[in-house]
Amino acid sequence: MEKFSFGVDPITSHAWNRDRTQIAISANNSLVDIYQKSEEGWEKTQTLNEHTQRVTSVDWAPESNMIVTCGSDRNAYVWIQNGNDEWKPSLVILRINRAATCVRWSPLENKFAVGSGSRLISICYFDKDHDWWVSKHIKKPIRSTITTVDWHPNNILLACGSTDFKVRVFSAYVKDVEAKPSGNVWGSKLPLGACLMEFGGSGGWVHGVSFDATGNRLAWVSHDSTINMVNASANFAESQTKLKNLPCHSLQWVGPDSIVAGGHDCWLLRFSVDDSNNLTFEGRVGFSRKRTEEKVTAMSMFQSLDKRATVEDDSKKTSIHQNSIVQLLIHTGGREAVTKLSSVGADGLLVVWNQHSLQASIGGSTFDMLAETINQVNIASQE
Amino acid sequence: MSKSTSTTIFRKVNIDEFDENNYQDEVVEADQVAVPAEEEIERLLNSKKNVDALQLLLRNAPITSKNQVDKDKAHQLVIRVLTMFKASEVGDAVNSLDSNSIDILMKYIYREFAAPSEKSASVCLTWHEKVYAVGGVGSIIRVLTDRKGV
Amino acid sequence: MAATLRPYLNAVRSTLTAAMCLENFSSQVVERHNKPEVEVRSSKELLLTPVSVSRNEREKVLIEGSINSLRISIAIKQADEIEKILCHKFTRFMMLRADNFFILRRKPVEGYDISFLITNFHTEQMLKHKLVDFIIQFMEEIDKEISEMKLSVNARARIVAEEFLKRF
Repeated sequence: MEKFSFGVDPITSHAWNRDRTQIAISANNSLVDIYQKSEEGWEKTQTLNEHTQRVTSVDWAPESNMIVTCGSDRNAYVWIQNGNDEWKPSLVILRINRAATCVRWSPLENKFAVGSGSRLISICYFDKDHDWWVSKHIKKPIRSTITTVDWHPNNILLACGSTDFKVRVFSAYVKDVEAKPSGNVWGSKLPLGACLMEFGGSGGWVHGVSFDATGNRLAWVSHDSTINMVNASANFAESQTKLKNLPCHSLQWVGPDSIVAGGHDCWLLRFSVDDSNNLTFEGRVGFSRKRTEEKVTAMSMFQSLDKRATVEDDSKKTSIHQNSIVQLLIHTGGREAVTKLSSVGADGLLVVWNQHSLQASIGGSTFDMLAETINQVNIASQE
Repeated sequence: MSKSTSTTIFRKVNIDEFDENNYQDEVVEADQVAVPAEEEIERLLNSKKNVDALQLLLRNAPITSKNQVDKDKAHQLVIRVLTMFKASEVGDAVNSLDSNSIDILMKYIYREFAAPSEKSASVCLTWHEKVYAVGGVGSIIRVLTDRKGV
Repeated sequence: MAATLRPYLNAVRSTLTAAMCLENFSSQVVERHNKPEVEVRSSKELLLTPVSVSRNEREKVLIEGSINSLRISIAIKQADEIEKILCHKFTRFMMLRADNFFILRRKPVEGYDISFLITNFHTEQMLKHKLVDFIIQFMEEIDKEISEMKLSVNARARIVAEEFLKRF
């Protein structure tokens, strides 16, 4: 596991390039920074500066090497590298009048979906005739801000979660750029914007949705501290697990039968799925250290009394992330077998987890060993 | 200036509320749950079966019911049962509940906190502590995100 | 009486921790704005059910949550007239200087003595569990502070009265 700090500002979103040598990070402001991996850690190579308000989401298409960003200024830009390796933006015609909240490239990278606060999803594609990015809207029956979107591996279906407590599966078929799709387990008629399925309604805002590798199962986390799954190939059997922890914010399938989720608890939680579609909580990952029992000298005691008005230094949490985990991404592998996972949090940390450190969560005694494998590299800070 | 132009009463109408795309609360079909009869609970309490009385009430909580009278009655019964426990018995009672009942019990505790009587506040604090120990913050989160109320 | 203080503060602490799961959320009513939803109350789906924790009928806190902000209002114990006056003076003094306290609200919610407004910007800059600690410590201290002030006011009044009555 590797841990990198990108300053003290919260990271809103991150995205990897194809070979994981570069990363695009937006740190709670209107800029997106591109970092290049180097011997000493990460080096800033370029700053994408076009948004006028906070950037809410970034995605990097691995094959076509295009970056798409969206922000609360209601705009989205597609960034393409020119001959001199400079990133140049082109505006996307989103036709929305509230903040854009999340953006994801489709698996074939011929279109992307932008969720927004104007209660709709824009499916954007490149219009060759006019030489710009245009969009089509999915509106009904969304009643509130879209918080998260995820593409089905077939490049047609799109799952979205929103603050009206619902998870919906839509068809995002755009006839201008692709052939007419055939039906699948989710539905047979697939015109653009058809709402194939609708789940949830328990009262918690949906924070994260994720399809598994086959696209038959969909999992989501919501604000009532539950993780839910539906299996389309098993007659849409739904299952729900209530957590004792704070709600999760993001989740990712890491194997055919396992899910990792992270959120306000600052830990990663592992879940397993059995044959009868039950979700089981396996354990949590992300312990940094036990609170070190340093020798309390008289001097250090008075120093901390002076600084913090307490004797004990309890400002550090025992988790690796010190503030909410905001986003989980696959670093290496596919959804059927992830070997490395990356997470960013509101504490400005990027942590790359390997399979070993993820699986170490099952036993309780392996945490100490885990803590030793931390290889902390501080990169040049923002200034 | 004339009196009618200085009036601002017309501004009090919130036009945004009439947007048809706005979120609407879902109309849930009320499950037919019969609140356990007072006599039944009374009988259990008299024969010292406090835990059974509590479980019975939590399993049959009228959550989806629209009848406020039913809800109030169930709430009063729950609080009455809670006050019957000795402080030392609370931990065991909470441990005997399933996770669903834990969440519902937490909702009743918070409802009582909203309008406590002289005695019930301290009883509820004791229960809150024990329920929190079993249900974690998750059970409180589910009180906050609950939109139906007990 | 003191026996219920610890469980009371523990209950407030756990409720606050649960309510303090905030995220940056742009307004879906006003274009290009970001407002604390708990204050504007423009979209009901973004608000959480308000809950209270009470120690008795007079001492209680109200916690109102939303997707990007939360409001906690405290009703402070006021046993007699002098405590009422002291409490009013004390909270007024602080609320006039609310800018220096970051999370303090300039006006208490109706029915309470003092209110705090915590937004996602606060939880991003400060450690969440320390924010909770701060509120809890505040609740512990304010009772103590008021009873101390009451003692010193009484002592001072006694001296004044003695000096005054010496003349007769």
